[in-house]
Formats: sequence, structure tokens, C-alpha cells
Amino acid sequence: MNFFADLKVTFRSMRRNFRFSLLAIFVMTSGLSLSIYMFSFLYNTLSAPLPFDQGERVRKLQPITSTNQFLSFRLSDYQDMAKSQTTFDVFDTYYNRRRNLVSSDRSFRDRVFYVNPPFFEVSNARPLKGRVINQDDMLPGAAPVVVIGEHIWDNLYGGADDVLGKELRIENKPFTIVGVMPATYRFPDYAKIWAPFDMTTQGINRSNVPYASVYGRLKEGVSDEQAEADLVQIMEQIALEYPELNEGESVIVTTFQKLAAMTTDTLILAMQLCVGLVLLLACINTGNLLLSRALEKSKESAIRTAMGATRGVLVTQVMMEAVLICLISGVLSLMIVSLSLEGSLTALKSMFLGSEPPYWWRFELTLESYLAAIFMTVATAVITGLLPAIKATKGDVSSILRDGTRGAQSFQSGRLSKLIVISEVALSSALLLIATSVALSVIEKNHTDYGIRLDGYLTAEVSLNRSDYRTDERRLSFFQKLEQELEKQPGVDDVSFTRMVPITWARVEQFEVEGVDYGKDPKYPRPEIVTVSNDYFSTVEIKLFEGRTFSEQDRADTPLVAIVSQNFIKKYMNGEPALGKRIKLARSGSDWYTIVGVVNDVTHGWPYSYNIERPSVFVNLQQNPERAMSVVIKTANDPNLLRETLRRVAFEVEPNAPLFNVLTMERNHERAVADINFISRLFILFAIASMILAFSGIYGVMAYTVTQKTQEIGVRRALGADNQEIHVHFLKQGAIQLITGLLVGIPVGIGLLNMLIQSELVSFSAMIFILVPLAISLTIVIAVANPVRKVLKLEPIHALRYE
Amino acid sequence: MSALISLKKLKKVFSTEEVDTHALSDIDLEIKSGEYVCISGPSGCGKSTLLSILGLLDTPSGGSFILNGTDVCELDAKQRADVRKKEVGFVFQSFNLISDLTVEENVELPLTYRKELSKAERESMVANALEKVDMAHRRKHYPSQLSGGQQQRVAVARAVVGNPSIILADEPTGNLDSKNAEQVMSLLDQLHGEGATICMVTHDPRGVKRAKRSVEIFDGRVVADSSLSRPKKTEQSEKELATEATVA
Ligand SMILES: Nc1ncnc2c1ncn2[C@@H]1O[C@H](COP(=O)(O)OP(=O)(O)OP(=O)(O)O)[C@@H](O)[C@H]1O
Ligand SMILES: [Mg+2]
Repeated sequence: MNFFADLKVTFRSMRRNFRFSLLAIFVMTSGLSLSIYMFSFLYNTLSAPLPFDQGERVRKLQPITSTNQFLSFRLSDYQDMAKSQTTFDVFDTYYNRRRNLVSSDRSFRDRVFYVNPPFFEVSNARPLKGRVINQDDMLPGAAPVVVIGEHIWDNLYGGADDVLGKELRIENKPFTIVGVMPATYRFPDYAKIWAPFDMTTQGINRSNVPYASVYGRLKEGVSDEQAEADLVQIMEQIALEYPELNEGESVIVTTFQKLAAMTTDTLILAMQLCVGLVLLLACINTGNLLLSRALEKSKESAIRTAMGATRGVLVTQVMMEAVLICLISGVLSLMIVSLSLEGSLTALKSMFLGSEPPYWWRFELTLESYLAAIFMTVATAVITGLLPAIKATKGDVSSILRDGTRGAQSFQSGRLSKLIVISEVALSSALLLIATSVALSVIEKNHTDYGIRLDGYLTAEVSLNRSDYRTDERRLSFFQKLEQELEKQPGVDDVSFTRMVPITWARVEQFEVEGVDYGKDPKYPRPEIVTVSNDYFSTVEIKLFEGRTFSEQDRADTPLVAIVSQNFIKKYMNGEPALGKRIKLARSGSDWYTIVGVVNDVTHGWPYSYNIERPSVFVNLQQNPERAMSVVIKTANDPNLLRETLRRVAFEVEPNAPLFNVLTMERNHERAVADINFISRLFILFAIASMILAFSGIYGVMAYTVTQKTQEIGVRRALGADNQEIHVHFLKQGAIQLITGLLVGIPVGIGLLNMLIQSELVSFSAMIFILVPLAISLTIVIAVANPVRKVLKLEPIHALRYE
Repeated sequence: MSALISLKKLKKVFSTEEVDTHALSDIDLEIKSGEYVCISGPSGCGKSTLLSILGLLDTPSGGSFILNGTDVCELDAKQRADVRKKEVGFVFQSFNLISDLTVEENVELPLTYRKELSKAERESMVANALEKVDMAHRRKHYPSQLSGGQQQRVAVARAVVGNPSIILADEPTGNLDSKNAEQVMSLLDQLHGEGATICMVTHDPRGVKRAKRSVEIFDGRVVADSSLSRPKKTEQSEKELATEATVA
């Protein structure tokens, strides 16, 4: 076959219809770019194997109950599983804790991972210097050793060559450094420092056994399902033996990758669906462009057939154009995606608070991305090309060649173009519905009122060593000293302490209100409990509505006092006067607190409704001296300017209690909304893409339909229709397609929204049900009115004579 | 009787990139109510242009055009559409039926643009018009299901359905074989007999013969207007032809 001759003809025709080809390539590139991008992003973060030998077989285990998933197992359960399991060739445990790390002259706080030797074997660990932890280090009485990451090496030891053998104090206990790991080694996820696993079940009652993470490497050829079935059966056995501890507890096999992603399965599914819809829109658009072109050429095809060409040859010719367009678009998309993947790495880094995303995330086009791109390109080429090719060459040759029969043909293609408009409306309305809901909820969350002032604060966490700070007096005097020293510093307006900075996290406890009968199966109030220093309320501008705030009179030897938020009274006390009433932790042995004040609602934790709506109970630091607190510094200047001052003063006051999470209050807020902002940016991208595609698609179809009906417009005008009547006629036709499309699209959108609603990424608002149909109606009106107007500009006779 | 149409020094110039085409130059023409005028001339002489100006489908470049006492050149688009729907009926060479509409709906189309007519009125007018062209039995068909002659008869029904002051026909038989052409011609004759004013462009010598007045155009000018010279015997043969057609 003269393939090259055909190719040449195709090229020539594409060059001649340059603007058409450009539009088709633009549409296809948008659709393909988004799809390849999403594929690469999701694949690289969620499905790509961990980057070491047999990394694809490494699994993490999670204990589950019917209602919850947890991260770690009771160590005794791990041991029982390890004994009986048959599906893993490595079955291991580890745990991690935040620790104060101190070298001879510097301090730092980070998570220490306590691991066994197989941990390093599984992960192909190759130290930069020294060695990893071995079996000898695990023996009882062995000298405590530690392996540090390059990052710690640089920060605490200035990258000194003689770091091996030096001492690192962890929670003020000495450890000897035996190895340094390269910065790229972060197994299991964010580790920078590793010490020997030291938990034991010996001599401990099973109910008091500590918890640890469990992971393993599947035996060759064992599937996740097989492994899970095996372990579930073991857990059932354990539950039979210890019903009071393990009743209803089971296990699932998952991956580190899935656990580290901050998204939920439904969110991922929603994103994939959105991408699918966008790609479908792009296919429909391009297919339609090609179809209208093919129909224009149907006369040419008929002549060719008359001259002996077979149908196959004709289909090939139409297909060739589709393939070329998709091929060019595919290559362009790959270029765009490789650039934007780099961009999203920067965006994601800002979410991870100075540290990096999980070490296995790769922001580049991998082999899998290329394969996916090829697959999508071929698939879209087939979808966009085949249908128009068949459709356009199906026409009855003699009727096309005979002059003046515009009947059946235009009737058919008219139906198809209506179908296209309907599907474009349906797809874009579903997409827009989702994207605008996500965008709206993100805007809402970005403007959350946490009940405190956000600008002009620097916050930091500090945690005192248990051994050095056993007594209440020591702890209180540390906080007093730190406050005094900080308040001396220039630029510092006010200093106070809180157990937890609002926005960042919350400690939720069960409380009971005096005099309330909670019944047999008690559902106690579950507010957060926040220990604060006396002047905390004025520092962060929490408003006092009733009673008083804490003062110097509230001491360990005076009656316990508490301050509650307004929603506490509303939710747990029926709105009755609260001052003088008493509350206590709902467990035996805890003391009663008298409510002495009522303040505005404060949100602890990220701005999700369950955090926003949860009431707060504030208690006094003097009466509840904690080991870990956050310091809040108020300043009139840029809070970042005080970072060094804060670090220096804190080190002077207590070198063994390094500050961590040193952040401005505004940054705390940014972190809290960073992931939803990132995701919403993706959804907004979908919305824009779908809007552009839908608009260009609907416009293209409508303009084509109107052009085809130029003569009809002429006839109608000759018969006395004025401009308005012509407009109304075509708008009515558009309206039918619009309404049909919306009737399909809106329910689909609502279905998708329901999926997302649990993830709190969307907020239902009546507005979107007005805005979205309005935007699409406007698109239709413009798409109809504009081409009609153009035809009406002609004298009716020219419209009549239009061919 | 006063003139239904009065053209004075009517001009039409088409300006394209290369040349200005003077399609019509200084046309003076009067058509009275009830006349049956045939316009003829060689291809490209300006017949269709003249007809489309008469039908307000195009605007003249100069001169005056009085229709029923109103100066048409003064009207805006909306008023021109108004005149078209009330005063003018069109029959085109290529039928120009709308393929998505049935015969009935095609005929009703011009009436739908006249808000003063009720649905019942419209229905009876459509039935009437279809009866006249003998197409009532095909009223639910689509144009693609009809022969050329049948399509043109529907087009004639559509032209007359609103009782226009004048029927304009541009080569109505151009796409038809002689038998069908004959039918359409006698149909127009019959309408003329009932009092319709007809202005027709045709190459067909039989059509020229049937008309009561023949206007000849050459190169955009009226070169002959044989309004009064009309041999009696033509009238005779016309009647014969008419009966022949009805029988067929
Ligand atoms: N839109 C236009 N632009 C430029 N020139 C035009 C246009 N319409 C018509 N003409 C020119 O005006 C002249 C008259 O055209 P018109 O269609 O009136 O001829 P006609 O007498 O109807 O011919 P025929 O018998 O072939 O239909 C021709 O020379 C034609 O080329
Ligand atoms: Mg003509």
C-alpha cells in the first residue's frame, strides 16, 4: 500500500487546515497532559515499588477493628504472628519516638527509629561511613549504639570526618555513633536516625505490652490476599485466646506508600474519575472536529469510492489524521508533564514543613509514565479517529453524488452533533460541580476563624526530659525562667505557654459535668483539654465572655479551676449558666475542676468540621505542670526575625530541651491548609481544563451546526422570520440539549460529590447548583448566538445561496 | 389600479476585491396587483438579483423601491422581516424545504412567524394550501420522501399559504422534468386565476408564454417590456394546457 503517499496527503491537508489542526492538537494536548500528569503523580507516589531490590514485595501491616485502623500492634501479637506466619520471608518490627538529641555543642529534636538488623537487609542499606546495627548490638548489655543520617551528621557534627565513635545523647543517655547513612536512605519513611530495637514482652502482663510497627517482605510469588488471609487467621486465633484484649481485631496488608499519602482512596478515585472525564471530553471534542472534517470530505470520499477505492482505504485515510494529531499531542503532553512534575515537587515541598516528601516519591517521567502515555495516545487515536472514519464513509455513495439531496445525511449528522453537545454538557457540568465545590470549601478553610489572632506570633514546642524534670517545681521553674529570659529580648512583646498551639493538634479527653447522669452506656463529652499559662488568653487574643481568666492565685494548693469555651456550654450543659459548676475527667481518681470563665470557641487541629465544632476545656499550667508545652511569642515585627533569639535563649536556659516546630502562627495555618490547597489546585485545573474543552467543544459543534444550516436560516428569513425569531429557534434547540445534558451531568456530579464529602474536601452549597448550570447555559448561549449572529449579518439572499 | 411595486432607477452593485459587478443598472419597473409577470434574459444578466431585491432578501445599492405605498429602502431589519412575512411568498429553484420538518410543518413555517394567527387558523390555512397543490395526502411526509415535483408543489403551497400580495418564483421549474414542470406551471396559472400577483424568472419558453407580461433583461437593464402585446390564441392554448395538467 502506498502508505507514504497517504501520509503526504494527510500532512498536506493538515497544513492547509492549519487552524483546525492547531485547535485539535490543543484540545488533545490538554486532555493528555492532565491524564499523564495525574497518572505519573499517582503512580509514583502510590504504586511505584520502594527503590531497592525486591522493594515491590515489602508490605506494612495495620491492625484494624470494624471501625478503626491503627498503626501499631501489641508486641505480643507481633511475636505470635511472626511465629506462625508462612507468607513472608522477612517479618519484622520497629517503633519510633520523638527524642531530644544532643551532641557536644548542639541540640536537635527528631524521631529515632528503633530497629532490628533485618531492617537494614530488607532495605539494602549501604552506609556512607561505618556500619549498620548488627546482631551483637541487640545482645543484652551491649554498648548502646546509633546510626545517624547525613542530615544529622551535618547538623550536629558539622559533617566532621571523625564522627564515628562520637557520643550522641538521646534523652540525655549516651549512645555511640557507629555508622552514617546517605541522605537518600530514609527507610521506613522519614527516618534520619536509627538505634537498636529495645522493646520486650518479658515480665510484662499482656495487657500492658508496648505497641510497635510491623512490616515484612512477601515470599516470592505470594499475593497480598494470600498473606492477608494467613495473618487474619492467626489474628483470629489470638482473639480466641485473649478475647478481652483482641476481640474484633484483625489485620490488613498495605504498603508504606499508601500510608504515607495524605489522601484517601475515595479522593484518589475521584481524581481518577475527573481525569477520565477530562480525557473523554478531549476525545469527544477532537473526534467531533475530525468528524465534521470527514463529513465535509464525504463527497471526496464518494468520488474516490466511485473510482474504485475500498472502504478500508478511506477509513485509513481519516484515521491517519487522527493518529497524527494524537501523536503530536502525546509528544507535546510528555514535554509539558515533565516540566510540571518538577513544579509540583516545589509545591509539595512547602507542605512538608522544611523536610522532604517520602523518599520514594519521584517527580519525573518514569518508564511507567511513558508506557501509560503511549497507551493513552493510542487509545485516544482509536476513539477519536475510528468513529468519524466509519461514520463519514458509510454514506450512500450515489445519494451523496446526486445533487441536492441534503435530507437524510444532515438529519443523521445533526443527531450525532446533538449527542455530542449533550455529552459535553453532562461531562463538564459534573466536573465543574466537583471542582467548584472543592474550590469553595478550600476558600472557606483558608478563611477559617480559629478563635485566635494569627499574625504576629512565633510558636515552638519544647519537651523536657523525664529524668531531669521529675518534679512539678522543676518544670514550673523552667517555664518561668524561659518566659523571663524571652521577655527581656528586644522585639518580644509577650510570652505565654500552651500545651498545644491551636490549629496544630488536639488532645481529646472524656469529661463529665457534675450532676449530669450519663446513663448505663455513658457517652461522655469529648472536648479537647488544653493546659495554658495565666496570660495565654490575652497573648493570643481569646475573648473572655464571662467570669475570669487564670491568675497567680490559682496554685497547686488552691481549688482546681477550668475555663471552657462557649460551645462547651451549648453542647454539654444545655446552655445553662456555667460559672461555679464543676467538671472532671471521666475516669476514676480524677479531681473536680470548677468553671471560673467562659471564652470564645478555639479550634485545635486542622480546620475540619470535627475539630472546629469540638469544645475546649482550658486548665492552668500552675495546677497541671506539664513536661511538654508550646511557647507563644507575640511581636509587632516579623515573627521570623525572632527565630534565632528564641533558639539561643532556649539553649541557654536548657541545652537538653531543644525547641522544635519553630513556626509562625500564620505558617501553622498554612500547613493546616497546604494539602487541601494542593489538591484543590488540581481540581481547579480540572475545572479550567473542562471549561475550556467544553466551551471549545460546544462552540465548535454549534458553530458547525449553524454553518450547515446557513441555507435554512436564509429560507426562514425569506419566509418572514426576523432576527429575534431565528435566535429563539436555535436557542430553543440548544436549550433541549442543555437541559438533557444537565439532567445527566448534575446527578453524576452529585454522586461524585458524595464520595468526597467524607473527606471534608467539599462543602455542599446551593450556590454551585445555580452557578454551574448558569456558566454552562452561558456557554451554550454564546456558542449559539455568535455563529447565528454572523449568518444574520449577511443579506438573506447570501445565506440562501450558501453552499 | 395603483402599482403594487414601483422601481425607479434601481441599482445593484456587487463589490468584490477585483471588480465591481453592476448586476442591475437603472431599472424602472412597475408591477400592478394581479399581474403575472415573467422575467427573462441570458444567464448572469441580473434576474435573480432583481427578484431577491423585490423579495427584500437583498438591498439595492441605489434608486427607489416602493412596495404597496411604502418606501422599502427606509425600513429596518425588523420591518423588512415583517413585510416579507405578510406581503411576499417565495418559490425557489432548489425547493429549499427544511429537511427536519414535515410537509405540513414546512408549509406552516411562514405562519408561525405571524403572531396574530391562532393555531386553529394556521391549521385551516395549511390544509387549504395543501389542498390547492394537491399534496394533502402527503402532509406527514418528510421532504426527502418526496419527488422533486412534489417538493416544489409543497414549496408553492408554502409560498401561498399566508395570502401574500406577491409570489416571487426564481426558476421554479429549473430542477424539474417537463411533466412536473408543467404541473407547477399550471399551478401558478391557477393561482393567478384566483387573483394572485406573480413575478417569475424562467428560461422555460412555455412559462414565458403563460405569463401575461414579459420583461426582458440584458446586462442589468430592462430591454423589453411586452406588457400589452399579447396574442389571444396564447390564452386559448393556456387554458387547454391547464385542463391537461389537472387531468394528469
Ligand atoms: N454575491 C455576489 N457577489 C458578486 N457578484 C454577484 C453576486 N451575486 C450575483 N453576482 C453577479 O451579479 C450578476 C447577476 O447575477 P444573477 O444571479 O442575478 O444572474 P441571473 O440573471 O439570475 O443568472 P442565471 O440565469 O444564471 O441564474 C452576475 O454577473 C453575478 O456574477
Ligand atoms: Mg438566477
